[in-house]
Amino acid sequence: MAGLAGPRRTWGIDTALTRLAACSLDHPWWTIGLTIGATLAFAAQLPKTTIDTDPKHMLPVTAPVRQHNDRVERDFALHADTIVLGIVNERGIVNRQSLTRIRRLTGEIRKIPGVIVRDVISLSTIDNVAVRAGQLLVGPVFDDVPESDADTARVRTSLLGNPLFLNRIVSPDATTTAIYVPIEPTANGKEIADKIRTLLPSDSGDDRFYLAGDPVARDTFGTEMFRQMAVFSPITGVVLCAVLWFVFRSTLLITANMAVAMTGIIWSMGLLVGLGYPVHIMSSMSPVFLMAIATDSVHIFNEFAFRFREVPDKRRAVLQTMKAVAGPVFYSDVCTAAGFAALATATIVPVKIFGLVIAFGTLVILLMSFTLVPAILMLLREDHIATITRRTGGDGLGHGRWLSRLGWFCIRRARAIAAIGLASLVVAGVGLSRIHVNNNMVHWFKSGSEVRTADRVLNANLGGTSTAYLTVQGAAEDAIKDPNMLRGIEGVQRELEKNPRVGKTFSVVDYVKRINRVLHADEAAFDRIPDSPEQVGQYLFLFAASAKPSDLDNVVDYPFQNANIFVQLKSWDADVMEDVIHRTDAYLGSHPLPGAAAIQPAGIAYFNLVWSHEVLWGMLESFLAGIALVLLLLVAQTRSLVWGILACLPLLFTIGFIYGVVGLVGKDFDMPVAVLSTLSLGLAIDFAIHFVARFRQRYRQDPRLDEALVWTVARPGRGIFLNAMLFASGFAVMTLADLTPYVTVGVLMAAIMLLSALMSVVYLPGLIHLFHPVLFKKGSR
Amino acid sequence: MNPVRTHAAVTLSLILSAIVAQAQREGLTGTDIVERSQQAFYYAGADMKTRVVMDLVSESNKIRTRRLTMLHKNDPKSRNQKYFIYFHDPGDVRRTALLVWKYYERDDDRWIFIPAINAVRRIAANDSRSSFVGSDFSYEDVSGRDVSADTHTLLREDRVGDVDCYLVQSVPKTGIDYTKKLAWIDKKSFLPRKEEYYDAQNQLARVFTADRIQVFTGGVGEAKKEYPAVVKRTMTNVKSGHRTEVTFNSIEYDVGLEDAVFTERSLETPPQKWIQ
Repeated sequence: MAGLAGPRRTWGIDTALTRLAACSLDHPWWTIGLTIGATLAFAAQLPKTTIDTDPKHMLPVTAPVRQHNDRVERDFALHADTIVLGIVNERGIVNRQSLTRIRRLTGEIRKIPGVIVRDVISLSTIDNVAVRAGQLLVGPVFDDVPESDADTARVRTSLLGNPLFLNRIVSPDATTTAIYVPIEPTANGKEIADKIRTLLPSDSGDDRFYLAGDPVARDTFGTEMFRQMAVFSPITGVVLCAVLWFVFRSTLLITANMAVAMTGIIWSMGLLVGLGYPVHIMSSMSPVFLMAIATDSVHIFNEFAFRFREVPDKRRAVLQTMKAVAGPVFYSDVCTAAGFAALATATIVPVKIFGLVIAFGTLVILLMSFTLVPAILMLLREDHIATITRRTGGDGLGHGRWLSRLGWFCIRRARAIAAIGLASLVVAGVGLSRIHVNNNMVHWFKSGSEVRTADRVLNANLGGTSTAYLTVQGAAEDAIKDPNMLRGIEGVQRELEKNPRVGKTFSVVDYVKRINRVLHADEAAFDRIPDSPEQVGQYLFLFAASAKPSDLDNVVDYPFQNANIFVQLKSWDADVMEDVIHRTDAYLGSHPLPGAAAIQPAGIAYFNLVWSHEVLWGMLESFLAGIALVLLLLVAQTRSLVWGILACLPLLFTIGFIYGVVGLVGKDFDMPVAVLSTLSLGLAIDFAIHFVARFRQRYRQDPRLDEALVWTVARPGRGIFLNAMLFASGFAVMTLADLTPYVTVGVLMAAIMLLSALMSVVYLPGLIHLFHPVLFKKGSR
Repeated sequence: MNPVRTHAAVTLSLILSAIVAQAQREGLTGTDIVERSQQAFYYAGADMKTRVVMDLVSESNKIRTRRLTMLHKNDPKSRNQKYFIYFHDPGDVRRTALLVWKYYERDDDRWIFIPAINAVRRIAANDSRSSFVGSDFSYEDVSGRDVSADTHTLLREDRVGDVDCYLVQSVPKTGIDYTKKLAWIDKKSFLPRKEEYYDAQNQLARVFTADRIQVFTGGVGEAKKEYPAVVKRTMTNVKSGHRTEVTFNSIEYDVGLEDAVFTERSLETPPQKWIQ
């Protein structure tokens, strides 16, 4: 065994990597040329980029919730995507001018390609069920725009007199109406919304227009996110360059760092696009993440700056540097890759893809660290290197001295620092217990944005912009015609309406009651469900015989076995939908429907709920998988369980603490926040890896414990702080974004990086000092 | 331009104008063809009685079936018509009956008898484009549309299967649910073989096909007449995937329907003689 492995049995990987680096050192131009060639090949894929922002695609086509949703949409002739054009006139929407405008707009909107012509619903197309001049009327509210005041008043009365219209097509105070524009599944909501905007009159008098609805929010977000990333990726790059310049004052080092980052970005994005995957919200952030990960190379630069001072021969200094950092760089990058690859266990498709893209990009960066980086270092002019080295202040000056003091302080005050840590963990625990899981896509826009304003106005005036369906599943054909079934459905509706954020419900019951009343000379006493199934059957027949087919199809299926309750929600919060489900279940528990008919939720609101739960639990699983993987790698690296656990502690503390704060300040635990926990895993672990590995190297050479610790704080510690600073400044740029998920990611990533660097450099020396009897038991070094 | 192609184009346009010229020699403009088609399709005989099976087929191939008796009588002095429709199926709507007095140039009068409330209600009928009893056919598709409401153009001659047809384009003069209709009208029987309706985005929205045509005899006394009739027809909404298949069983022409059949009273006590 020993003979086979040779003298390098413990650090095999280091040797391999150092050899790779040596090879690049000998052929720097070949290395650079080959890298550029491969990069161009990957870059050639990029023009094929496609985008996908549909939240439904977050789950695979085979996900039960997607299949159920598709079936509900098919059975009830529903459209997945509907744009809502709200029109508000404080002086009342029922006036000649506004009605003329609504009628014209409806006609024009129907001509927009991608709009489903037959089902555009507005005041001028919606079917009314009413009595007019002794005749039963099933048809539009007005045929011609009313000329006289009397006619206008009549239209107003008939609108407000039909409960089916209230909060759906007209607000109870008649100031607001909406045009519902269903669009083809393949159509782009933002493009259609933009076309609708061009149709809006420039001088609209008192009428104000608001565009809302899931497709607008979603596709606007999609367009916006690319715009934002196109702006912020370069800015992040510039900021990183500036910080690097401030530290090293070397264009070549900055070039090396950026070349590594760009190679990682282009190879991984090229691979993603080349494999035919669309770019989702998650993967759009890849450039920023990869740039941040590429800053890992500062550990190499940092060590090189110290080495060159000790060994003033360029080639030897580079080789020794590579030998010293090979282990930690390799393991920290592999841990980062593993942390991201753990996302592949998630069911959320874009998250999965993102994880794999970054994992691949990280491995590219790792490869570059041992090929491109040494090749570029080889090109450094020797006289130039002196400038770089001078700034390290390695022999007790500058950062070095400051960090040495910090090191000593941490060792001497180890107990006090540990106590503070424990206390903060307790506080964090309280915060963690208060975490509120929620997801709201409209809140991904800032409060003053057009999308959010429109959503707010429409939710204030009408039933709500988010829609859920509750499908009642009868035991046999015609089950829905049973008056008891209708009464049960009505009961569910009244129960749901007790939640103030449920703005409107309607179902087949509302049509049946309406027809009953209208057939009895509009007497209020008949605003009720009739007593016999035949009566219900005939009413529905009458309705189907006169109204638009979709009117009835939307609320009851073909064999009258299943019914669909529309539930309009005034908020996109996932927990409103959760309440709808709880209320329904509780109500059915005490008031079962005939034949024990079940009720199943569907629709975009339900979808968002399932999806955000999926994200949460999926992320938790990925997080645990990631921790296990990282721990395994660390144990493999350190060849010791206790050291492996020790290296994980700063990370666990950081994440516990940050999420505790999230809980304490009451920020919703939403999708971006959930995903971050797993993202930060692979990144935040790096610092501890570098610290532990370099400390153990040093301690092996010079077994004075405290001195070795202080050396680690002062020398690799500088690299750690530099790396954290670069990371944090790169992500901090994202806090200027217009979309809140980017802001969240920016703030939390910066905080996580800084905190975990601090934890590694402050807590690890203290802990190692306190627990060295356990750590160095028998030959574990 | 390529001389061969020019030659072909000239030949083509010559042939086209020859066809149109021939139709014009026969004195047939687009309007004439539509006029004759309406006569053949909606006004055959003095009256007519038929049992109808109407299948409403949803996109996911679920079916609602309606069985009804349709009686109709043409006003010999005008183009007005009266329809009496009695529903046998589905079971819970049996005895529901519909009376339509169709006026050629103004809104219809419509009444419905609803057995559950044992009463007749007048129905406002301001939109003849609205669906006929929930099918993909509109009232106009069932009873005809004012010829002067559209601009008709004979585009060319065409074939549907092996049947020679005129292809006529009809563009409504006022905005309705379709913006253009193409009709393939049988040159012999003048029955429509196929129709395409285009929507506001000028996309194909509905397609009518005459799936089976049979010739019936009618006439009073010695004067036997032959009436070709579409006994099976389908209207497909290509946008929603919904379609309606209608089969006319046992068509009888010139059976002598009395005016009393087409009254409100007859809605309440249906004429058993005719609806059996």
